[in-house]
Amino acid sequence: MDPIIAALARAAGLDKALADFPDDVKAAAEQALNNAGVVQVPIDPAAEPWPPMRAGIGL
Amino acid sequence: MTAPSMSAPHWLSAAEAGRAFAAKTLSPVELLTALLARIETLDPKLNAFIRLDADAAMQAARQAEAEIAAGRGRGPLHGVPVGIKDIIDVVGLPTTAHSKILVNNIAKADAVVIQKLRQAGAVIMGKLSTHEFAIGGPSFDLPFPPARNPWNPDHHPGGSSSGSGSGVAAGLFPLALGTDTGGSVRNPASACGIVGLKPTYGLVSRRGVFPLSFTLDHVGPLARTVADNALLLDAIAGHDPGDPGSAATQTRQFGRLLDRGVRGLRIGFVRHFHERDVPAHPEVAAALEDVARVLQAEGADVRTVTLPTLTEFAGINRVILCSEAWSIHAPWLRERPGDYGQLARRRLLPGAFMTAGDYVGAQRRRAELIAAVEDQLREYDVLLCASSMDPASRLDEPEETARTYPRQARTPFNVTGHPAVAMMAGLAQNGLPVSVQFVGRYFDDATVLRVAAAYEKATGWHKKKPPIG
Repeated sequence: MDPIIAALARAAGLDKALADFPDDVKAAAEQALNNAGVVQVPIDPAAEPWPPMRAGIGL
Repeated sequence: MTAPSMSAPHWLSAAEAGRAFAAKTLSPVELLTALLARIETLDPKLNAFIRLDADAAMQAARQAEAEIAAGRGRGPLHGVPVGIKDIIDVVGLPTTAHSKILVNNIAKADAVVIQKLRQAGAVIMGKLSTHEFAIGGPSFDLPFPPARNPWNPDHHPGGSSSGSGSGVAAGLFPLALGTDTGGSVRNPASACGIVGLKPTYGLVSRRGVFPLSFTLDHVGPLARTVADNALLLDAIAGHDPGDPGSAATQTRQFGRLLDRGVRGLRIGFVRHFHERDVPAHPEVAAALEDVARVLQAEGADVRTVTLPTLTEFAGINRVILCSEAWSIHAPWLRERPGDYGQLARRRLLPGAFMTAGDYVGAQRRRAELIAAVEDQLREYDVLLCASSMDPASRLDEPEETARTYPRQARTPFNVTGHPAVAMMAGLAQNGLPVSVQFVGRYFDDATVLRVAAAYEKATGWHKKKPPIG
């Protein structure tokens, strides 16, 4: 197990999963890295996230 | 291929059943009795149900029968049976999400969509198989077995609304509710050769539905015909101030355009999804070209269009889904990781390793992808594209299921929220359905269904029934 993955898993409170299902934890960490890597985050600093804020709706 | 008797009660569409009730040639109790007998015979092979609620269904059918006889009909779904995916609350029944985690989770109230179905007089038949928490499946390490495909029970019926697709296609019930976060209504519709709609985001309330990903979750109808799909959508759509994502729209009568055909419509064909981004099985690619030819012959103007790549849509969907799902499942993943099946555990854990920056970055890029699809939908009335890139995999080949499951073009429209319907577009040489997807403008679900109805009428694929009896 990569010590960085293990440290991140412990920081997320996944001690039990790390002990009992280390392969699942490792696969999850690798998947997270791969998925986040394909997102082309906008370079425009003013590009806001979806969904936009809607004041007073749904509250 | 069997040649089913189309007059058999179990193959009646909801619309046909409603007309038969009104004409007094069939009663709700007679229909339900026929379906319960069919379920007793077939469901042990299909596992569509987690829990059949036959007594309550019969009570509802008797009530509907009495009301119709007394001239107090409530509309086209009065007395019509509906199956419910087991992440949707039905008061007094467990909402298990097909998981050990929630196996004793008794619903204290009906979900809003169930309230609406009861108001329409529909008969709630019971709770249907799903992938665990609508994400982990098909799995054999759960409290209930996975649903199977009625076209060939050795094959996957798609998911995560697996029982919904399997049961509708097998004639166990004419209508079902599913949910769709990355394609989970449209996947079983594609695999089982029926019609599954992911409505516009916000059109159908999600209150009382166990969440997977707040900004991607939709509730949607599955049926054997486009007209039935529209009827079920009519019953469940509507603004719900208790659902923060619910839109303040009064849009109704989703079947009002079904007879209009496609003459004069502009349809954008997103070929790169299945030609370049994720090359489809040759029989799927051929079926999609045939869909375009059929629609062109019916009078539509079909032209090739370009959207961002499937790879990027899928990546954004996964980052958002995993991040939001982690915020729901973190306590159980920390304390009870062994109570999940392995697939759900592996698919939910990545959220622990995504950063706040990953999530917000994905939501910012999402806005740009939405704008790209909106640009095309200003030029085109509807988009045509693949749903699944392959016929359904075998259930006993998990590697093949893992390979083919992400090979699809449904997630883009969870990311964007546009309405999208998947439906049968033929049969592969192995006898399993292949499919197509139509996508439309926000809250123009009626035009999406209009194109689907024109295609259905021109091809008649909905008349094919699985060889299951």
